[in-house]
Amino acid sequence: MAELTCDSIDNTVLDTLQPPSRFYWLLIAFLFMGVLLGAGCWLYQIVTGIGVGGQNNPVHWGIYLVNFVFWVGIAHSGTLISAILHLFRAGWRNPIARAAETMTIFAVCVAGLFPFIHLGRVWVVFYMLPIPTQRTLWPNFTSPLMFDVVAISTYLMVSAAFWYTGMLPDLATVRDRASGTRKKIFQVLSLGWTGTHEQWRHYARGYLFFASLATPLVISVHSVVSWDFALGVVPGWHTTIFAPYFVAGAIHSGLAMVLTLMIPLRKIFKYEAIITVSVLENVAKTIVFTGIIVGFAYGTELFIAWYSHNVVEMETFRWRIFGDYSLEYWIMVICNTLIPLLFLFQKIRTRIPWLFGLSLLINVGMWYERFVIIIGSVAHDFVPYTWGLYRPSLIELGIMFGSFCLFFFLFVLFVKHLPSVSMTEMKETLFAGDHHDQ
Amino acid sequence: MNRRRFLKISGIGSIAVAAGCTAEAEKTLFSLIHAPDDMVTGKAGWYASTCRECPAGCGILAKNREGRVIKLEGNPAHPINQGALCMRGQAALQGIYNPDRLQTPLIRESGGWHPVSFARAAELIIQKARAAGQNGPNRVRLISEVVGDTLSRVFQDVLQQWKSDGPLLFEPHAFESLKAAHDMVFGAPVLPSYHMDQADILVGFGADFLETWLSPVEYARKFKAMHALHNGRKGVFIQISPFQSLTAANADHWMACRPGSEATVVFGLIRKLHSSGRGAEIPGPIQNQISRICDTLTRSEVCRRAGIRKADFDMLSNRIIDAESPLILGSGPGMDSRTAMHTDIGVSLLNLILDPALPRHDFQNRHRIECAARRSDVSAFFEAIDSEPVELLLLHNTNPVFTLPSAHRLTEIISRESLFVVSFTNFMDETAELADLICPIQLPLETWDAYEGKTRVTGTLQPAMGRLTDAPAIGDLLLRCAFSDQQPVSDYKSHVAGQLNIQSPADWVNAVQAGGIFNQSEGPPFNPGLSVGELPLDRMMPDSPDDRPGAGLIVMAVPSLRFYDGRGANKPWLNETPDPLTLICWQSVAQVHPQTMAARGWKQGDVILFQSDFGTIKVPVFEWPGIHPDAVAMTLGQGHTGYGRYAQNQGQNPLTLLAPGQNPLTGGPSYQVPLSEVRALGQNESLAHLDGSRTQHGRAIALTCDIQTCHLPSPDSGQGLGMWDFPLTLPIPEGYDIRRDIYPSHPHADYRWGMVVDLDRCIGCGACTVACYAENNIGVVGEKQILAGREMAWLRIERYLDPDDMQKIIFLPMMCQHCDNAPCESVCPVYAPHHGREGLNNQIYNRCIGTRFCAQNCPYKVRRFNWLEWDRPKPLPLQLNPDVTVRSAGVMEKCSFCIQRIKDGHDHAKNENRLIRDGDITPACVQTCPTHALVFGNFMDPESRVRRLADDPRAYQVLGYLNTKPAVIYLKKIVQTLDNAIVSWPGRPLPG
Repeated sequence: MAELTCDSIDNTVLDTLQPPSRFYWLLIAFLFMGVLLGAGCWLYQIVTGIGVGGQNNPVHWGIYLVNFVFWVGIAHSGTLISAILHLFRAGWRNPIARAAETMTIFAVCVAGLFPFIHLGRVWVVFYMLPIPTQRTLWPNFTSPLMFDVVAISTYLMVSAAFWYTGMLPDLATVRDRASGTRKKIFQVLSLGWTGTHEQWRHYARGYLFFASLATPLVISVHSVVSWDFALGVVPGWHTTIFAPYFVAGAIHSGLAMVLTLMIPLRKIFKYEAIITVSVLENVAKTIVFTGIIVGFAYGTELFIAWYSHNVVEMETFRWRIFGDYSLEYWIMVICNTLIPLLFLFQKIRTRIPWLFGLSLLINVGMWYERFVIIIGSVAHDFVPYTWGLYRPSLIELGIMFGSFCLFFFLFVLFVKHLPSVSMTEMKETLFAGDHHDQ
Repeated sequence: MNRRRFLKISGIGSIAVAAGCTAEAEKTLFSLIHAPDDMVTGKAGWYASTCRECPAGCGILAKNREGRVIKLEGNPAHPINQGALCMRGQAALQGIYNPDRLQTPLIRESGGWHPVSFARAAELIIQKARAAGQNGPNRVRLISEVVGDTLSRVFQDVLQQWKSDGPLLFEPHAFESLKAAHDMVFGAPVLPSYHMDQADILVGFGADFLETWLSPVEYARKFKAMHALHNGRKGVFIQISPFQSLTAANADHWMACRPGSEATVVFGLIRKLHSSGRGAEIPGPIQNQISRICDTLTRSEVCRRAGIRKADFDMLSNRIIDAESPLILGSGPGMDSRTAMHTDIGVSLLNLILDPALPRHDFQNRHRIECAARRSDVSAFFEAIDSEPVELLLLHNTNPVFTLPSAHRLTEIISRESLFVVSFTNFMDETAELADLICPIQLPLETWDAYEGKTRVTGTLQPAMGRLTDAPAIGDLLLRCAFSDQQPVSDYKSHVAGQLNIQSPADWVNAVQAGGIFNQSEGPPFNPGLSVGELPLDRMMPDSPDDRPGAGLIVMAVPSLRFYDGRGANKPWLNETPDPLTLICWQSVAQVHPQTMAARGWKQGDVILFQSDFGTIKVPVFEWPGIHPDAVAMTLGQGHTGYGRYAQNQGQNPLTLLAPGQNPLTGGPSYQVPLSEVRALGQNESLAHLDGSRTQHGRAIALTCDIQTCHLPSPDSGQGLGMWDFPLTLPIPEGYDIRRDIYPSHPHADYRWGMVVDLDRCIGCGACTVACYAENNIGVVGEKQILAGREMAWLRIERYLDPDDMQKIIFLPMMCQHCDNAPCESVCPVYAPHHGREGLNNQIYNRCIGTRFCAQNCPYKVRRFNWLEWDRPKPLPLQLNPDVTVRSAGVMEKCSFCIQRIKDGHDHAKNENRLIRDGDITPACVQTCPTHALVFGNFMDPESRVRRLADDPRAYQVLGYLNTKPAVIYLKKIVQTLDNAIVSWPGRPLPG
């Protein structure tokens, strides 16, 4: 493989912005149809009532909130990679930081839709806004749902600003090589970047500050999301390990999603020289680490349930393992804790098909983790008379399908219209002599 | 277009629009410029009347708001029900406002129904009746439900005018065997009322007096009067039957006997009493006969035949022998007619032997249902229509095609060409479908009438609402038809007054306001004359258990607490409220013992074809431990082919399996039939049951305590933090403790509302649930949504079985606990669940955005979400309580402790410039409870009943260890173990 140079980096990355093929537009059209399908399902639900879903008493929260937590989880790794690993000077994060951060932003957007979709009366959602009006109502800031609003919107704003700041020099590069309307658009987007020494100095300092600002958010967002559950009284939710457990789970799923996205990206855009196998290997190693944390959390939950000697807790976890949702539970355990251990073998973590396949399984496992926690806990809580089961309806699955389409729709648009690898940061690694392959 | 032209066009356009707008303005909401004297908008008027949903004749108060009845409550002054009402009574409203109620008479012409005017219908009846009267005697026949003497007299007069015999009063549940037994033993076919409350031991052989037997509301009250804790003791109730009805579920001990063996047990007891020297008062011939019959009925033989344990039989016989005031109740539903007769004869003898003066039988005050015709007479009546030249058949509020097993034969008779059939009914039921003319009449809440629920209790009925249809009262219509211009009285109302012997208008007003005349003087004393002849007992030997015919299973068709004989099946509330034992809504099932299920390889919900010699039925099976393994029980009342949208094709009718014939001696039908074939059809149906689990899984939910120790504080209760040692924490400042609570208590001003539920008094009848539906405008979701788990009941009766003995059942009314430390309140982002100043957990509907977090966080899962807009076809919305918001889709709702009634109480107290007194406010559930299991009040008042009851050592809070500080305090159910070693009942010292 040829040695990377500034030119080869620029050329490889900017090649991806060439006018797309017909297949690309077909893909975009398909994804857009999927988005429309999801939107149609949502519209039908708004008109008819939330009862078109499968939720019931006791399972008032269905897969809308499973998807919410899932997408928030996905949103984690972007900032982890771009901010925390930046602070740790982990050079291997540079090739994937841009795409991972983009993934973060789109995932937060998709996640943010789900609380709205979930509401019984979405048209009065503005009651949650702290605006002094003649309604003389003030939101209840002791509600974890209000924490969510604050945490998620903050995370979205900071991530988006961080993402955009990091992209400025690259946008200028695109501008410099573009012509016509495209040049005008990128002229605006690059905010007059000229690459003077002073600009670089401010840029580097600003990027570092953003990284430090974003770091606590990585921890806080999913901690807050976990409190949606941990602050409830429901057995299976009401536990103090939820914040670290959810953060670890979120990073776990986010890293898996990074692999899922990077491997095709690398293949299609011929990024093999930039996103090398060793980068992917490093992601896989981190997945082993998060997988072990998640497995430890599963074990802790079971131990505490037994240790509590509380019949309600014990029954909740017994039922989780052996009850009606045991299949989901075992999917969760196997995919999230056992399958990542395969990455301990170098032969597996350096083979692209294995990396891709296992990352998909981890994604599935993490989706089921949220299913098991959110649905499985309330389905079988305090009063046995009220125990019940839940199955998602077609409308709910349609909206879920739409959400995946929306995410990939945005991501596919992104990779062809903005530089999906940070040219600046790649070049930094060249000049610092801190080559990412070493 | 120039300027002038533009102005012209716009001018014409705006005039056209303005003119078009006027059409809608004609509609007015209220036109009460000249409102009736007793109607004030916004203020309820109450009209005393009598419930006619079953023959018991409970007194009701109908709440009228702006001209329409919105709620029924029991009349506290009425001697039968004393203020309580069962679920069927509560649901009478959905009869009046039923969307399938017929508005005009319908005539069958050229194969279809055509509406005609009421005048035309009357003309037709006159024409047909006159012609029939002129053609000869007895050509007009009338069959009616059981009515009061007043209406019965009108029927007689009218039929006489048409040269025909009097009416036939038909009730499907007419207690023939009980009447026949009383005739044979006491000398008169009567149905006395029982002073159950004065008994110390009650033994039932199937009588379901908490559900449909004679007068269920009255007996529920009397039963709990005898069975509640008094001075550390309570009465004993033992039920012996093949099927554990709700009544049996409330027994201290239920013995599952083999179907058909009840009489064996009765005579086994008689033998035992005889051998201990009792029964000398019985006339000699009968004594001889008894000893002949009972000869073989030794203890072991009885136990072998009935399949009961010897220890149980000994316990039963010893208890009866030792009792001071025992009362034995006879046969119940679902019996075959022969066993029923023998059981009832035996029970009558047993009562006579135990207490020859029969002090707990009130022969002066007998149940109205005794005037119902025997089933054999009903059959003869219809056969006579077929064989004699009857020309006109009048049916009044009766549906024999549905309620009799001989539907085919009846259809044949009624559809005869030469017979003109008029059905006076408001619904297109199975019988009306065969009629030639259907004439709607006023329903009981719209009409003047009188009804004698008991011999000494005459209830009056008065119109409690405006008219929804132009239908006449049946009395008026018939009088007009029969006498045209020379009517004996001007109208039926004056006829009622005349019949009641009321002279002055003031007396009339007094009677109507009170809801009847209750303190009637005793009639001529009734002396039960002992029969001296032989009793028809020779053929009483029950079948040996070994020669069971056919498939080895016996079907029992039992009347339903919800539908009675089927007349309740068109009422959405009754369908939506679950059967109290199976907890199944909307559907009907066959209840089968787990052993039988396992032996035949059936699974819950498998559709099984049951075949008897008389018919077949396909019905899903329901595994239920409360039944003898040889029996299959199905409730009556569903499986209509007509009768409106709520009844049609809903469930199955087990009557199709039953034999059409009757017992020649009692004239009673058999509600039991052996199955010739049972076959699984390979289909499985999801059952719409509400319980997620049958047992409590060892949690502190529905608790019991032993009668020996119920006065002692629970050994577990203390100051711990666990499920069992957590203290009782009242929802008032005293309930807070720095060791358990981070947050301070709520500042409650004057009031902290709460409830006490005595599980020892709750019989699980579900009247409270339906009362809550009526009071609080709760949506009916239908079978499909029930299956999806979306029932809306604010108040439910949880039923739990004891995992160690599945026949031990406990009922737990569960509603919003109005926690002082409510988990729902803290999680809502918009303060929709809001802690009120008086401790109520208010749900503010228009603030709710539907996150449903509150419901997820509620440990009791009492919050209900409006998943969709619930259907209320017109005119059902007329029943809605205007004081309660109708919730739309997307909002959460739950029990409010009837906050509208609390507000009303505030208004009254404020008018009188005082604080609300204990007992001023009664939520709908508390009001209707027949056994006073629920008490509502103010925990801030140290003298209130709730506060004093909370001091009971039995008091606990459901899942109190969560420190939610519920405002609903439960009192543990008191269980007594009935073995020979421990004997405790009034008048007998406790051992030790």
